[in-house]
Amino acid sequence: MISEETLVQQLKQKETQSQSFEVLINTYKERLYWHIRRIVLNHDDADDVLQNTFIKVFKNIEGFKGDSKLYSWMYRIATNEALTFLKSKSRKLGLSDVELQDRMIGNLEADVYFEGDEIQLKLQKAIAALPEKQKLVFNMKYFQELKYEEISEILETSVGGLKASYHLAVKKIEASLKES
Amino acid sequence: MDKKYKKQDFKTPEGYFDSFTDKMKQKLSGEEIHLPVKDGFRVPENYFENLNEKIVQKIDEKDTKVIKLRRYMKFYYAAASVAAILVLVFGLRSNQDEFTFEDLANSDLETFLENNDIGLSSYEIAEVISVEELEINDILENQINDENIMEYLDDTVDDVDELNIEFDEYEQ
Repeated sequence: MISEETLVQQLKQKETQSQSFEVLINTYKERLYWHIRRIVLNHDDADDVLQNTFIKVFKNIEGFKGDSKLYSWMYRIATNEALTFLKSKSRKLGLSDVELQDRMIGNLEADVYFEGDEIQLKLQKAIAALPEKQKLVFNMKYFQELKYEEISEILETSVGGLKASYHLAVKKIEASLKES
Repeated sequence: MDKKYKKQDFKTPEGYFDSFTDKMKQKLSGEEIHLPVKDGFRVPENYFENLNEKIVQKIDEKDTKVIKLRRYMKFYYAAASVAAILVLVFGLRSNQDEFTFEDLANSDLETFLENNDIGLSSYEIAEVISVEELEINDILENQINDENIMEYLDDTVDDVDELNIEFDEYEQ
């Protein structure tokens, strides 16, 4: 498998750019998709945000200095794109963040691309009620099984802080599921 | 039974302590929450297979759109400023107190842009307004040509270069 460093170099060179971009998309499309999907919940929105993420990556690869790993840089772009998308959506609809989350969960019940049972729907409701940071950390740790060190690099937060956020998130989710 | 905890005054049902551990275990397991391992989301069939092509196509489209959009936005800002000034000057001179809808729209637009209170990205604006179909004179009461705009900017802006206007973009 091609090293990250080589891939970045190839992405920056005109002759190898399109071929290596293809490699980049193939390597990261699924994990970035699921990361985005768990933030925006709806497939069509996730598809839009994912495409915009790759476009941003492509346009900004020249400026990528390699201070962080490529995957964490891409995850950061994906996270920002997804959160910006939600903010823009709530503004367009004239809804608060909480109201938008409620609507997203409501839509999930009729979503043909959500096959969750009752407990999975309750889990999504509980996740939606979490503060943004805890929500991100929970999804990345629980579903994507990223290491704390990886999440730390993506969200630029200390490992200790992340562990606390995850712990709190799990407690709140458990409490919410017990209640319902 | 541990003598330390032996109480003479109270009695427990027979076998209470023998069955206590099991009872407690049962209760705990009943209340334990098992979070689902999967989240229940799925994607349309062949979604990931067709994704590469869609992204590459979108990049090509965006490349074309961005050039048009930038040119359009430069016109838009310049024209909005000029329009507002013209409305003010001619509006006051002719003693017209009544504002038409078009006047209001222009002044609103100008304030909107000047305060940078758009809240929309360039792409979002482009989605709402069709760049291809919009002519700059559509939003102006008075017809203004490119030369007027450049003259106005020359007179009022200290350093026109700072606006990053590419003159060749106007020469079409």
